[in-house]
Amino acid sequence: MPTDILVLLPVLVPPTAAAVAVLLRSHRRVQAAWAFGAMLTSFVCSSLLLWTVWSNGRPIVYQLGNWPAPFGISLVGDLLSATMAVMCQLVLAGGFLYALGCRDQCAQYPAFYPLFLMLATGLTGAMLTGDLFNLFVFAELLVFSGAALTAVSDDKFGTEAAYKYFYISFVASIALLLASGSLYVSYGTLNLADLAQRIAADPSPPLVLPAMVLLIIFFMVKGAVMPFHFWQPDFHTAAPTPVHAVLSSVVVKLGIYGFLRMTTLLFVEQAETIRAVLVVVGAVGVWFGGLGAVGTYDAKRMLAYSTLGQLGFILVAIGWGTPLALAAAIVYAFNHSLLKAAMLMLAGSVASRAPVKTAAFAAITGLGKKLPLAGVLFLLGGMGLAGIPPLNGFVGKLMLFSSGVEAQAYLPLAAIGLAGIVTLVYVFRAFQRIWWTPLPEDVKPKPYGDRLIAPALLIALSLALGIWAEPLINLAQATVAWMATPEWYVRAVLGG
Amino acid sequence: MEILKALSIGALFGIGLYQLLRRNIIRSAIGLAITSNAVNLFLLSVGAYDGVVEAYAKAIGQRSDALPQALILTAIVISLGGFAFVLSLLYVISARYRTGDNDEVKGLSH
Repeated sequence: MPTDILVLLPVLVPPTAAAVAVLLRSHRRVQAAWAFGAMLTSFVCSSLLLWTVWSNGRPIVYQLGNWPAPFGISLVGDLLSATMAVMCQLVLAGGFLYALGCRDQCAQYPAFYPLFLMLATGLTGAMLTGDLFNLFVFAELLVFSGAALTAVSDDKFGTEAAYKYFYISFVASIALLLASGSLYVSYGTLNLADLAQRIAADPSPPLVLPAMVLLIIFFMVKGAVMPFHFWQPDFHTAAPTPVHAVLSSVVVKLGIYGFLRMTTLLFVEQAETIRAVLVVVGAVGVWFGGLGAVGTYDAKRMLAYSTLGQLGFILVAIGWGTPLALAAAIVYAFNHSLLKAAMLMLAGSVASRAPVKTAAFAAITGLGKKLPLAGVLFLLGGMGLAGIPPLNGFVGKLMLFSSGVEAQAYLPLAAIGLAGIVTLVYVFRAFQRIWWTPLPEDVKPKPYGDRLIAPALLIALSLALGIWAEPLINLAQATVAWMATPEWYVRAVLGG
Repeated sequence: MEILKALSIGALFGIGLYQLLRRNIIRSAIGLAITSNAVNLFLLSVGAYDGVVEAYAKAIGQRSDALPQALILTAIVISLGGFAFVLSLLYVISARYRTGDNDEVKGLSH
């Protein structure tokens, strides 16, 4: 088998399986088994891709339709996009596992699993594509299926949340279209590798700066970064648990991926400007997200604000831009995906026991008495988010802070270091309300709820990565070595 | 021709962005549609190589660039689907909240 097909498979398997799954709609169990099988297959394919890329030491490129590089669309699996794709597929498979065992009505709809597979396609495709316009198409696929999955939520405010999410993402897509138009008129190409080469050779065309700003806006909306975050908390309050567990953990990483690509491939010369913006936005976001999470009324909303804060840490690391800081950003992003998905699933599973399904603290106070396992997992996950050993969150934070010391950026370091304490405050406040407060007399929790297997697996994985962190750190450092030499990427795509 | 194109793109952007910022949710949805059409027109005008003969023709001469048109075609289809989705969501929202005012649609913010 030629290796280049490995880049295509994670993007090809989910939509094909989704089409077949629609045909299987009258057989619920067959459809679920088929779709879950497809999800696992594509996870295995992307892991194989990562393994091959890492052991071969060069990117795998697939030219669609055999059109040579700058003219056709290329799918590029270099170490960064393969790592991100594996991370996404891992959490998506976890989310799917949760959907199989959850009691939401909406997971019973015949279109639920196919839409989930399309979400996986959009996300993986956006990470693996080597073409700016193709990125737009995949991002739209992602937004359409994500918004449709939210609109069918059991929560009566699902449509409102879906509308806000879709509307804002649509505006962001307009920004991406404008950016690709501006770059096309300046350089006559949309291939990322070709663009990188041409921008480095001649950064003078007047539309380059607007394109850069528009791309920053697009990725900030995708990543729900501080000034563009407003859709995110509302979205998480109302979306079905398996959907927002995926959206808050890996879909926001599209923004992180975008910033890593922008600063190390597309705009290497102008990277200093972008980095300065990212440090400020990240440090403000850490505080804003942390304080927002402390002041909220709903467990899921709290975790959504917490995502703003945690992404702030990653953005600050990208902003420092030293090799150690970039490696820290990748490790931190990986850990945050696992932990945040698990935490949101646990909050959703507690909410599924409430008499009326909601994660508002007023409704779920004391419900944890019947769920000791969920309590243990929530405590572990919270420790991971706050960066307490032995979970993997500690490794990420340690790398981040030591890179800050190395970069001698003491002011932002102090700001985000203090904000780390806020994480402890909100996580343990939630733990206390759900597991330590006695159950009110008049509340009758449901005897059944969502299964805990998916969050248990994710927490176990993050515990394993916390104790044996070496493979992930090695991977991150190898990725950073590749990012430091964008010529490798360009040469692999364009040939020669 | 060039100035006409520039003016019409500018006018569409102006109208679209103004409507997008209105308080009425139906107006802001229409603003979204107008803005996405302005972007389509912008993409049409970015043809990097202005040719004198059409692409893939046998005639000799500077060929025109077919790629922006392919881009617009994709963008039109996607924005059409998106607008249909926005309208269907608006239908549900306006039936449920009985209002067209942005500030009244706030079931999620406390």
